[in-house]
Amino acid sequence: MAARWKAALIWLVIAVAGFYLINELILLGVINSFIENMLVTIGINIILATGLNLIIGFSGQFSLGHAGFMALGAYATAIITEHLGNTLGFYLSMAVGVVIAMIVAVIIGIPTLRLRGDYLAIATMGAAEIIRVVLNNLKITNGAAGMYNIPALAGWPTVYVFVCLTTLMIVNFARSRAGRAIQAIREDDIAAEAVGINPTKWKLSAFVMGAATAAIGGSLHAVYIQTIAPSDFGIMNSISLLIIVVLGGVGSITGTFVAAIVLGVLDTALQSFGTLRMVIYALALILIMVFKPSGLLGRYEVSIRQLFEKKGARHGTADSHEPQ
Amino acid sequence: MALLTVTNLSKKFGGLAAVADVNMHVEDGELVALIGPNGAGKTTLFNMLTGVIPPTSGKITLTTATGTISLLGRKPYQVAKLGLARTFQNIRLFANLSVRDNLLAAMTHRYTENFFAEVLRLPAYYHKEAKVLAWTNALLREFDLVDVADYDAGNLPYGTQRRVEIARATATAPRIIFLDEPAAGMNPEETAALMKLIEKLRTDFQLTVVLIEHDMGLVMNLAERIYVLNQGKLIADGTPAQIQQNQAVIDAYLGGGVHA
Amino acid sequence: MQTFFQQLINGLSLGSIYALLALGYTMVYGIIKLINFAHGDIYMIGAFWGYYVINQYHVDFGVALVSSMVICAALGMLIEYLAYRPLRNSPRITALITAIGVSYFLENGMSFLYGANTRNFPQVVASHRFTVFGVTVTNIQLLIVAVSLLLMVALQLIVQHTRMGTAMRAVAVDQEAAELVGINPNHVISFTFGLGSALAGAAGVLIGLYYNSIDPLMGMVPGIKAFVAAVVGGIGSIPGAAIGGFLIGMLETFVQAIGLSAYKDAAVYVVLIVILVVLPAGLFGKNIKEKV
Repeated sequence: MAARWKAALIWLVIAVAGFYLINELILLGVINSFIENMLVTIGINIILATGLNLIIGFSGQFSLGHAGFMALGAYATAIITEHLGNTLGFYLSMAVGVVIAMIVAVIIGIPTLRLRGDYLAIATMGAAEIIRVVLNNLKITNGAAGMYNIPALAGWPTVYVFVCLTTLMIVNFARSRAGRAIQAIREDDIAAEAVGINPTKWKLSAFVMGAATAAIGGSLHAVYIQTIAPSDFGIMNSISLLIIVVLGGVGSITGTFVAAIVLGVLDTALQSFGTLRMVIYALALILIMVFKPSGLLGRYEVSIRQLFEKKGARHGTADSHEPQ
Repeated sequence: MALLTVTNLSKKFGGLAAVADVNMHVEDGELVALIGPNGAGKTTLFNMLTGVIPPTSGKITLTTATGTISLLGRKPYQVAKLGLARTFQNIRLFANLSVRDNLLAAMTHRYTENFFAEVLRLPAYYHKEAKVLAWTNALLREFDLVDVADYDAGNLPYGTQRRVEIARATATAPRIIFLDEPAAGMNPEETAALMKLIEKLRTDFQLTVVLIEHDMGLVMNLAERIYVLNQGKLIADGTPAQIQQNQAVIDAYLGGGVHA
Repeated sequence: MQTFFQQLINGLSLGSIYALLALGYTMVYGIIKLINFAHGDIYMIGAFWGYYVINQYHVDFGVALVSSMVICAALGMLIEYLAYRPLRNSPRITALITAIGVSYFLENGMSFLYGANTRNFPQVVASHRFTVFGVTVTNIQLLIVAVSLLLMVALQLIVQHTRMGTAMRAVAVDQEAAELVGINPNHVISFTFGLGSALAGAAGVLIGLYYNSIDPLMGMVPGIKAFVAAVVGGIGSIPGAAIGGFLIGMLETFVQAIGLSAYKDAAVYVVLIVILVVLPAGLFGKNIKEKV
């Protein structure tokens, strides 16, 4: 009992300290707008990728359409804040985006989540492309030109708070009844069904939860970048998120944080290399995968609570598991 | 009224009848064994009883507190919720989850959890979790798994994995437990321990047990009644003593089932 | 009716390109269960090679085609050796990310070395139009369809009637068992990559001739479409990939013809999802159920 509260308290202290640290560094001018921009991008990527990791790493469903759900959140925000350009409008639009993304996730998930492995990947990728093509052709979304002059309703503090909130929700979801059910399905769907777990229902719950966080990420992206277009939410964007998840370690939320930060910093550091930047990025990706096939952190998770409880090590194996 | 009744159950794969016109019944609290040579259709029968594959024809009914219901057309998880649990011939654990989580996952349908209580860790969540953990800890003790509770199930020795699988099936709070060759690959000491465990399922957990097994020592010792399956057909049923004397059974085991 | 046949011709030409690419995806997937994301970029390299040899050495179409196939086969085998072979026993998602890395590397490497601009593919075969019953056909379209069909027949002969083809099918069914009867899976996998990449190289030269323009990112979209074609046909099935390719090509041209060109990609994915929902293993794939 005590360990639980202590761990929660320490996480809270870390979160608040991180906030103040960034704030101070900005005031001191150590973090300039360039670095601030990098931090926000990393934060939004964390929100998107932890949700994807819930789907891929915990429920074992290979989804390749995450950018589609992100787009729904971003467009909901862009359209609503056009008429209601204040903080209220922003949070309202985020809620609307989340609800739309959840509904669409149910519509996509019910038929496709029966598919296995790569078939599911290609189907979800297709579904996300359909979303993108529709956004590309609607009047209300301003077609291929996209939407601009979106009011700047969120800075780094908002993104920071949402990183904490969504991570908390996803980690808690993964470590509860729901999380155990989806992990059981990942491990062996036939055995999971034999112990009374309804695979469709639980796979769908993880998928919908992931979609909801993607919509939050999309909303924040829209008000921070202030310009969005359908081409920002294509296959390559879904793949970038997948890369973060796999690079960090499938099933490790800590790994997702590490990978998002490493890639964000790498991307910024290589900014001056022009075209060569993507060549280096590609090579780095290949080398990390070849030499560290289970990702940077495998399945490792940081746990403060375990430091307190000190009950023998939790024997997790380091190899990641692939989605079925 | 029998707890479980199987009437004229058949399964055809293509033109081949894997199970043909099987009639059987299991009484509440009974320990029934299902034996027969390899390929006799025993696992196919189990798969039909637990909803994994649909029968081609026939009936399966279960007696519940509210009356008799048909199990046909129900999905495996629905059948499990009605109180039919099983283990698998080739062990199917949640290999990368701890033993404790294996048991906890099997309790998913035994309680509900509010989404917001779950993700926001409201007091209701801790309350529920404590209750379920207490169930789990009791099972871990009963099945002598306390020492390995935090190990990944896939890393345990074979005999322990079998025990975890039986404990996991028990965690679903079943009325009937189907064990598919639980003694396969075990040495005599492990088999003896398994026999004690199966006895325990009946005495301590009041479970009805249906067992597929090739180890005749175990079957003859434990089973109250035995059904013998050969080439998909039921060729005999009765007490262990009756089965040991049955000519059709002896032929099936010795002579490749020419009489069947 | 006239427009129908016109679109049929256009669809067949585009479809043959998709089919050639889809064959590479399906063979590689069939044997090592990897979505070879870099396959579309091999087709881009094939197009660039054709562009290079025709402009530099003024070779004819045949030489450009064959040399491109050889170069791409070698490149495919090299990529397999360097990037995929070390990951043979890793989680499949790791190999997939590596394939994406290779794809980025080829796309951006080409942009870095030769610039990202679009260039005109040399018209090594003079274009002629024929009008038959009001339907316009170019000799290039006929050439594309003929070369593609020829290559597909050749592939079918290799897979069904050579020792290597038999070994390929054996490894695809069960790698360990194939090893036990003396097949070296590394050779077979390497050969499969070579074969698939050669077809992609041919497709690259053909598309250069057809669309007359090439650029370093040209492989991305057709690559994904061709993979969709392979999935629709039933991944692992060679005739399935060919038919899937033609289907996707024709679907695209017909959707375009009825004035919905903005939705042509969406139409492809709708068909994909519908087919997968109805036939989870595609048109010609085998639906393998797990044994309990």
